[in-house]
Amino acid sequence: MNAFFNMNFLTELLLSTIRMATPILFVALAETYSERAGLVNIGLDGIMSFGALIGFLIGYKTGSPTTGILAGALSGVAINMIYAFCTIRLCAPQIVYGMAINIFAPALASFIYRLSFSDTSTLIQGVSMKAMPIPVLCNIPVLGPLFFNHIPLVYMAYLLVPATAVFFNSTKAGLNFKAVGEFPKAAETLGINVVLQKYIACVICGALAGIGGAYLTICYTSTYSEGIVAGRGFIALSAVIFGRWMPSGVMLACLLFGFCDALQIRLQLLSPSTPYQLLQMIPYLCTLFVLAFFGIRKSGPKANGQPYYREER
Amino acid sequence: MKKTMKTASLIMAAVLTAMSLAACGSASAPTTAAGSSAETSAAETTKAETTKAEETKAADSSKASGYKVAMVLDSSVSDGGWGASCYQAMVNAAKDSGWETVYTDNVATADFTTVMTDYAELGYNLIFAPGNQYTDAVKQVAEEYPDIKFALLNGTVETENITSILPDAKQIGYMAGALAGLMSKTNNIGFIGGMELDTTKAKLECYEKAAQKVNPDIKVSSAYAGSFSDTAKGKEIASSMVSTYDVDVMFGDASAVDTGAREALAGSEGRYDIGQPGDLGSADHKIIICSVVTDNAALLKACMKDVEADTFGGKTIYGDLSNGCLSIGTFSNLVSQDIQTQYKEIVDQIKAGTFIQ
Repeated sequence: MNAFFNMNFLTELLLSTIRMATPILFVALAETYSERAGLVNIGLDGIMSFGALIGFLIGYKTGSPTTGILAGALSGVAINMIYAFCTIRLCAPQIVYGMAINIFAPALASFIYRLSFSDTSTLIQGVSMKAMPIPVLCNIPVLGPLFFNHIPLVYMAYLLVPATAVFFNSTKAGLNFKAVGEFPKAAETLGINVVLQKYIACVICGALAGIGGAYLTICYTSTYSEGIVAGRGFIALSAVIFGRWMPSGVMLACLLFGFCDALQIRLQLLSPSTPYQLLQMIPYLCTLFVLAFFGIRKSGPKANGQPYYREER
Repeated sequence: MKKTMKTASLIMAAVLTAMSLAACGSASAPTTAAGSSAETSAAETTKAETTKAEETKAADSSKASGYKVAMVLDSSVSDGGWGASCYQAMVNAAKDSGWETVYTDNVATADFTTVMTDYAELGYNLIFAPGNQYTDAVKQVAEEYPDIKFALLNGTVETENITSILPDAKQIGYMAGALAGLMSKTNNIGFIGGMELDTTKAKLECYEKAAQKVNPDIKVSSAYAGSFSDTAKGKEIASSMVSTYDVDVMFGDASAVDTGAREALAGSEGRYDIGQPGDLGSADHKIIICSVVTDNAALLKACMKDVEADTFGGKTIYGDLSNGCLSIGTFSNLVSQDIQTQYKEIVDQIKAGTFIQ
């Protein structure tokens, strides 16, 4: 037990938490944007896989991690546009098409992977993004290496949280955005172009989810394997509900999940006699518990999940 | 809106007719048969499947024996671990014997019997199921199709048309543990498992025993990733082992997860990994000091010879050091000459059964 109070153990645990929470945070923010505009996108897992592959492929071909990340974002947008067209233009059920993306995108990703790299016995190594310590701040005794010595994308993810909060609560564009998800008819009468806003929301969602996926194959590890997403898209979905559609809540949810996951790995090492399956349940039990007590469905955008018919009376 | 939908559906119908005409006109009958049956089975399943009908003709066309082997895999063929090595084994064995190969991967557990039945219906002579988890499905389909032969890797079933192929998990564990014990300077070694399969448990037990026989002060830490494909998890587990316990040699039984572990080890000095089941290292590799190589191809080739000679079934083919199916991989230059000689002596003892009584 005294291992717990070892400073090194705690710092490693917190570092691990931040690392493991980042991909979920990207995707959860993506889903926040999408749901605030009234579109429930459960195809996040699929978009992540596709973004992971394209990011890995482009990074491998060009040798530049930044190009890979950009490619991941663009590919996420491309896949999400299919969802956008079907749900906004054709007003199809959003859950069904989200699931369709979940089936279609990972299969497409593994198909492209096999076309580009024929079957090999080891995984191909791609590019890797280097950590970028912030000059003065990273020398602070305890907090320095913890918060200020990360890959640039990690900084971007955590800076996006206050940026999103400011956008939604203090800017006119953000308030219009939220109005589209709350009561699109009223927004339309005030001259807000509801359909365009929804498309913009899908673009943002696809880009961020694609970056989240590309983060996994460029920054976190530098290989692509078919199960690399491991259900993180669905965890992000629950993070959005847990965080009550507010960026700060979403960040807390992702950090909590990352913490439980990092803790679970370390607990496995510390007590080898406990069946590992019990310890692996910890993150999910925690999410269930918090959702049961703190997640309130009613606090979401009112017109969430409903198709918008412009001509409806 | 109506007009665009109409033209769109007309175009789709035209494309589909063109595709089906092209498929019917093709001379390769097995390809289309496999393709169309795959379409129907894909329509039944909800999980994504990739089916590829590969006609691997032998280099010498006179060796093409007209036999066909099919593999059913629940993970992916390009996972850099178990799936990839089983696929390579099948392709290599088939190339030498002049067989054709086909595989279906990413098959969900509920669909094992469906896919195997489809291949049996298509007349594939040998169906290869690479893992203990296929046992029930293989038993079920083998009963219904007594003329089709089944090779079950890591299985324990023997019937008229099922042969089990059993690489010796204990010897694999001993080999890895002995090398880890010899190479570790911090007296802490690690093991990553995927799921808690019987073979993984056996490998872990023997890993510990062998390491402690070589070096009584060794401590082993182990963790299970719970998945065979979550590379990121492997990286986390390895880096937490290194930071919490100062582990310097690791061994994994979890395909893609091990690749993640190797990435974490690459970030620090003096951390090594032992690879399996293929020969993953090389002389100048900085991380993989050696591999425990399982020659699944030789085992499969023995099955194929049996099918051709009609002596298949009713036995278990063991793969261990004595028949060459387990072997030491390529040493990296990081392993000194006298550790290499010591290790080779230990492996001979394992082969003779005298290493651990």
